[in-house]
Amino acid sequence: MTIDWPEKFARKGHELFLSGLPIALHCHHYNMNLQKTLETSLGSEGVLLLYTAAEESSHAGFTSFLEHHPKIVTAKSKLELASTSYQYCGLGIINFTKIGPEGGIVTSPHSHHVTGWLAKFGKRQNVGCFFTGGWVAGVLAAIYNKHIGYFSVDELECKMSLSKECVFEVKIA
Amino acid sequence: MAIDTDKIVHAVMHGSRIREEKGIIPLFGVYLSMISVQYYNGISFGFEKATGNDGFAENLLVEAGQECGYATFQGVRSSWEWEEVVKPMIEDIEDQIHCFVSIAIAFGWGDLTVQELVPGKKLVIRATDLYEAKGYLDVYGKADSGKCYMVRGVTGALMDLVYGDDYPEGCFQYTAVETSCVAKGDPYCEFIAQRTTS
Ligand SMILES: [Zn+2]
Ligand SMILES: [Zn+2]
Repeated sequence: MTIDWPEKFARKGHELFLSGLPIALHCHHYNMNLQKTLETSLGSEGVLLLYTAAEESSHAGFTSFLEHHPKIVTAKSKLELASTSYQYCGLGIINFTKIGPEGGIVTSPHSHHVTGWLAKFGKRQNVGCFFTGGWVAGVLAAIYNKHIGYFSVDELECKMSLSKECVFEVKIA
Repeated sequence: MAIDTDKIVHAVMHGSRIREEKGIIPLFGVYLSMISVQYYNGISFGFEKATGNDGFAENLLVEAGQECGYATFQGVRSSWEWEEVVKPMIEDIEDQIHCFVSIAIAFGWGDLTVQELVPGKKLVIRATDLYEAKGYLDVYGKADSGKCYMVRGVTGALMDLVYGDDYPEGCFQYTAVETSCVAKGDPYCEFIAQRTTS
């Protein structure tokens, strides 16, 4: 099944929607600045805030998305839809081929956050894709009909610290 | 020549549909993302709650908005899209502000209008439907102070860009306040940017 993305991405007056939920366009300056501000001010609590906000919003967003596409029923096609929506939203490329209801491995060779972070702040010493980790946790919970917090996602390797790609391990929390 | 807002919105909408093979959106000299406003409200107000509502988070969030508005719109006005689509419509320096506001609307930031512009001195922006105010009301109920930190920072940045020193020296030469906010129960959000007094 093909998704008509421009149709899913609707403008009503001054508001933008993706499958019924309001979204905003922001640039890497803002996104990276927010991440750095939270990390610097709150440390691990800030990291958790970034992860949780991404998890909650991707869970709500993808649940609404699936409600708008009742013909998409298999986990495989839902995963495919998730990765095309990630790409459509300018967030990058995400690979769900090693994922199942028990978790697994997710990889991302390119992302907005990695490109944006490296462009703005340069190389990191540690992993830094907290948005993506939370986004993956929320989307997988929506796909497998689980609650927020059901999956935990850890980033094992990160392109922000110059690994070849970002690698996330997904487990049942 | 008047500013054709539709033309600018169209350029943003068209450009934001371009994906390179990496799933990244390079437009107007920056990388764009489309993220649910729930995410932005979650981190901003979560940050504010975590630090005890003492103005610490508020200042940093306004600063983030201002610095980013400054860098983003500088990227925007240095881009070929600006050269091609926007520049032909600009007659005087004040027009730049109207074009920046059109782009902000196209980005889904809200129904911003320029209420008053006194060149070099004062910019007043109003909006009735900003995602920060709406998100705050939905989750926390009525606020006792303005909550639209991003747009407040951006209002200062617009003045910095147009009337401040040359980029990148001009950031924070103007400061904006939010004098009324929908999150407080006011009918609209209003931002006033003036020269920073130290
Ligand atoms: Zn990473
Ligand atoms: Zn407001």
